[in-house]
Amino acid sequence: MARPSRLLLDPLGAVGGAVMDIATHLGAVVTLLVRVLRSLVPPRFDLPELWRNLYKMGNQSVPIVMLTAFFVGGIMVVQSAVFMKRFQATSLLGWGAGYSVLREVGPILIGLMFSGRVGSNNTAELGTMVVTEQIDGLRALSIDPMRYLIVPRVLAMVIMLFLLTVLGDLVALFGAMLFGKLIIGLEFGVFYAGLVSSLGVSDLTHGLVKALVFGLIIALTSCHFGLNVKGGAVGVGRSVNSAVVGSALGIVLSDYFLTYVLT
Amino acid sequence: MIRLKGVHKRWDRPVLDGLDLHLERGVVWGLIGPAASGKSVLLKTVCGLEKPTSGEVWVDGQEISGMDEREMMKVRRKFGMLFQNNALFDFMDVGQNVAFPLVRAGGVDPEEIEERVASRLKAVGLSGSERKMPNELSGGMRKRVGIARATIASPPIVVYDEPTAGLDPVTTSKIYDLLRAIQDQSHATVMAVSSDINALRTFVGRIAMIYQGRIIYDGLESELDGCQDPVVHQFIRGELEGPL
Ligand SMILES: Nc1ncnc2c1ncn2[C@@H]1O[C@H](COP(=O)(O)OP(=O)(O)O)[C@@H](O)[C@H]1O
Ligand SMILES: [Mg+2]
Repeated sequence: MARPSRLLLDPLGAVGGAVMDIATHLGAVVTLLVRVLRSLVPPRFDLPELWRNLYKMGNQSVPIVMLTAFFVGGIMVVQSAVFMKRFQATSLLGWGAGYSVLREVGPILIGLMFSGRVGSNNTAELGTMVVTEQIDGLRALSIDPMRYLIVPRVLAMVIMLFLLTVLGDLVALFGAMLFGKLIIGLEFGVFYAGLVSSLGVSDLTHGLVKALVFGLIIALTSCHFGLNVKGGAVGVGRSVNSAVVGSALGIVLSDYFLTYVLT
Repeated sequence: MIRLKGVHKRWDRPVLDGLDLHLERGVVWGLIGPAASGKSVLLKTVCGLEKPTSGEVWVDGQEISGMDEREMMKVRRKFGMLFQNNALFDFMDVGQNVAFPLVRAGGVDPEEIEERVASRLKAVGLSGSERKMPNELSGGMRKRVGIARATIASPPIVVYDEPTAGLDPVTTSKIYDLLRAIQDQSHATVMAVSSDINALRTFVGRIAMIYQGRIIYDGLESELDGCQDPVVHQFIRGELEGPL
């Protein structure tokens, strides 16, 4: 309600305010990254917490990511099958699906899914711990929340998104292959040949580097917004919202740069 | 034991505004004051959880406001703290929560920890609740778990932030009985904040009032009623007319 009117009355001020806002958060996220890195050399963090988080995050995200990946692979085929058939280029289907899934669609969609499922949950959990003074409680008991809470979560999220992307890529390609057979009757062998003959290791690594960066972005963003919750339960909701939006923005922007840098 | 000299703490406005305080070893000190007057901030500043904007904080002969987090951790071991929101770890059960300070301190073997947790839970009237999770407990039970955790390692300084907030009068009396019983055994230095002035007065020997970032009264509990300061006068009687 206050936002649109400000945008009309004072457009420069409103845009300037938003830019300042983003810059502040970006600065805080970079500071958080530095603190995480400092606890990693030498590695000083809670190993059981890392395992606990990997297990939990895997449980939360594997089914939903697999389901998404399968249908994403399918949709790629549905969208392109008509043209491939018209130009009698169905043997390119494997290449087309593989190229876009491995480099772009896989990492981005799985990243966004992961952010919505695991990142938001992470923000809510940390935010609740702030509001109920559990973070102060840890510090009062001489526990460094950085090593005990944040670093294990950041590591777990980076590792988990990487693994999910590998797995999701495979499932998406499998989905594409299956839909190719169902929709235009493309033999598995032809699809597979198209896939392996024209795609290289670089296509795979391209996507996996993205997955690592996206994982880091989601992890840092969700931790940052969780740790900076203000104002009780309402504040937690607001922070979760900001974390999801912030992660999505970070993923899309960094994807743009990474695509340039990596090709 | 604890000394604050000219402590200021401000965020967007000053919360502590040149606050001085001195507590001798073994004193049981109560703090009252209006909502959002900085009572919790004062306690957290003493424990080193908040850094003052300026001023000195001395704990047991050490100035802590200039310390880094690592040095501060050693100082915090001297404190047992009950937080206003209890701060029970919701990913641990009651037994693990209460045992945590002992586990952290190290050097206590698991059987002894188990025994001490059981006896501490018995002391707060929660025998056999070790395997319950904090979210299965009522508000009063959570407070009591928080008290058990704050005192299990027998710290020389214990800080209670609103030990009875949101509890009914009978539970409130029981909690203060419990605090008294713990104090009779431990003889710790105690700082207690409460909005329930009358119940708090049954527990403390010395009482202070914070207002606009400063201590405006600090004296024997028995002399509080005779205080002529109009703010204190109005606050402890809950009158509508007055400067507040
Ligand atoms: N971390 C913080 N950031 C900004 N303001 C804070 C913070 N902690 C406390 N405050 C402010 O300090 C004031 C005193 O808070 P507090 O000590 O919790 O009051 P109370 O006396 O009720 O315990 C409040 O106005 C509160 O908003
Ligand atoms: Mg308070």
